[in-house]
Amino acid sequence: MKSAVIGTGEISAEHLKFLADSKSADLVAVCDLSRAAARYAAKTFRAIKSYTDYKQMLDQAKPDVVHILTPPTTHVALATDCIDAGAHVICEKPVALSHDQFTSLWSHAKDKGRALVEDHNYRFNRPVLKIEKLIADGVLGEVMEVDVRMALAIRDGGRFADENLPNPAHKLPAGVIHDFITHLSYLALRFIPDPDKVSAAWSNHQGDDLFKYDDLDAILVAGEKHARLRFSCRTGPDCFALTVRGTRAEVQTDLFHPFMRLIKPRKGGDKLSPVVNQLANGLNLVGASFGNLRNKLMQRSPYEGLHTFLSWTYEALQQDVEPPVTFDDMDRASRLIDQMLLEGNRV
Amino acid sequence: MKLLVTGASGFLGKHIVAQAVQRGHDVRAQVRPASDIKALRWEGQPDIEIVRADLRSKERLTELVQGVDAVISNAACKAGDFYTQFAGTVITTENLLHAMAQADVQRLVAVSTFSVYDCLKMSDRELLDEESPLDDDPVDRDEYAQTKLVQEELAHEFAKEHEGHVTIVRPGVIYGKDNLWTARLGMELGTNRCLLVGPRTVLPITYVENCAQAIVLAAEKEQAVGQTYNIIDDDLPTHRQYLSALNRHQEPRMKSLPMPWLVMRFLASLALGVNKLFLSRRAKVPSILRPAALHARAKPLKYTNRLVKESLSWSPHYGMEEAIARSAEDINHAALAPESDPVQDDTEHDTDQEVRTCV
Repeated sequence: MKSAVIGTGEISAEHLKFLADSKSADLVAVCDLSRAAARYAAKTFRAIKSYTDYKQMLDQAKPDVVHILTPPTTHVALATDCIDAGAHVICEKPVALSHDQFTSLWSHAKDKGRALVEDHNYRFNRPVLKIEKLIADGVLGEVMEVDVRMALAIRDGGRFADENLPNPAHKLPAGVIHDFITHLSYLALRFIPDPDKVSAAWSNHQGDDLFKYDDLDAILVAGEKHARLRFSCRTGPDCFALTVRGTRAEVQTDLFHPFMRLIKPRKGGDKLSPVVNQLANGLNLVGASFGNLRNKLMQRSPYEGLHTFLSWTYEALQQDVEPPVTFDDMDRASRLIDQMLLEGNRV
Repeated sequence: MKLLVTGASGFLGKHIVAQAVQRGHDVRAQVRPASDIKALRWEGQPDIEIVRADLRSKERLTELVQGVDAVISNAACKAGDFYTQFAGTVITTENLLHAMAQADVQRLVAVSTFSVYDCLKMSDRELLDEESPLDDDPVDRDEYAQTKLVQEELAHEFAKEHEGHVTIVRPGVIYGKDNLWTARLGMELGTNRCLLVGPRTVLPITYVENCAQAIVLAAEKEQAVGQTYNIIDDDLPTHRQYLSALNRHQEPRMKSLPMPWLVMRFLASLALGVNKLFLSRRAKVPSILRPAALHARAKPLKYTNRLVKESLSWSPHYGMEEAIARSAEDINHAALAPESDPVQDDTEHDTDQEVRTCV
């Protein structure tokens, strides 16, 4: 399939690496408002041509798939034009800034017979796929609780703390947290899909003008099932922790520094089971530390799930079947974000 | 002349401003919107017009360059990941050159670096001059070298596409107050110890005030148009001599573990071989063990400043001992600020950066 990329910021490196190595994709074009950036990306990842005008790119390169990797406020307009040009769209999160915008864009894609796929990359990281398998195999029992917690020191420097040229994410409905909230949402919804009650506390603990919010604490309730979504920039070290608790067992992981801690009934009965769990998990932790050292040495990043997501998405597009991130997945995540914003500070 | 200096409050930029004013020029000094420049005491100086702008955005850049005779493009980003440095070095230059074309300003002095040279292609003790090969495949170099190479390409394109009158200056290691250590010496091991790579290798240094003077001369002189100049001082020290000179002016002294060039080169070749043979060259190796980076830092080469001296009638004013003494003590900043009151040198510890490290 002929593929093109719009936007050559940080995340583009992962998309372009995939496209440069993939047998399913032929990277025909890279587009960025900066000619130097577009040209550099095209040269580095062996794209056929670079553009600074995406409409010209759509017209001349005629891609089958366009990856939209620009700031979120531009996604809907760009995706609409790409769909109109006959291209499938793979879009960085959030695909739209409200549920209404999302459903309208989805209808447009459906009318034109094109796929619209939002990047839910962490759902395809190995630890998450393992947790899904544990659930499918009945190891956890019925899932009752989920905790998703991201800690990032975004106030201590870097692109979000830059006061010289404030990051466009500061202007999103949930401020900078909007840039991360899709990840928290789709992970929680993967295990507890239909919350009937949502509450959220949005805070700006530092109280400055640059950040709209720097903290989120949200609770979802679906019948007797509970989920908690946390974003914090005041606790360290950085982590992306996921805990899933079922009726039989619980499992924990950190997607930034992967490990797996599974607490389940083990041989030895009620009295020895905790000890056996600790021994087994201790060994797993030692194994994970070597694995993470290898990942660091071999430059493998937490974006490993993005490559699986793209690989499966291209496979689905080629076979004309539903992509791995479905309408329901995107619809639920988008709706939940709206609900959390609406329920802001009614906790 | 009316000179625009970008990255004006940084390590080199503030000295360029001072030199330009001393030589009788009017200066428009571009600083970032959030930069604290109180310590420089530029406010109220008739020769210095301060303009706050972030060059990563095209907004109001045409106004920034409007009416100047020459632009000294000094802003760059030395820290952060590749994309941070690309934005702070390449996008800034692209936007600046676009604004210059819009405002019909043709004269450009682009501050580049020795990092653009491909020392891997050179032999031991070969002369490095302005004709030496540039790195055309800098994949194993650091982000700084990668982005500065693209920045130079943009300057050449500006000359070609907009009939720009371009001079490229490539300083060696610029040293001065708060910037006395250089990674070319080797690797710091804790607080007061270092691995001194290639103790007998010549260190291509230029003291920041000497360098700033050469840059201002390049903007002034007609014969500099179309030229590229390497800027280094006279009587270059070896790595060991430079460290000894530093130690004469600092307490506690830095203890060094000397690592001969040939041994270090062998270790880097070995690391590359293992990476290629067993790890498909995917392993991230410290820069000191990457041949491309190691050769750029520590290869024993010869250097010349003949072209810049002859063409610009430039002569480095301060020798190394005096320069280190000026850097080590609390310098009287009469030479930095146009007024005679001494000022504190705490404006921009991270030199000429447009943006800071990204998470």
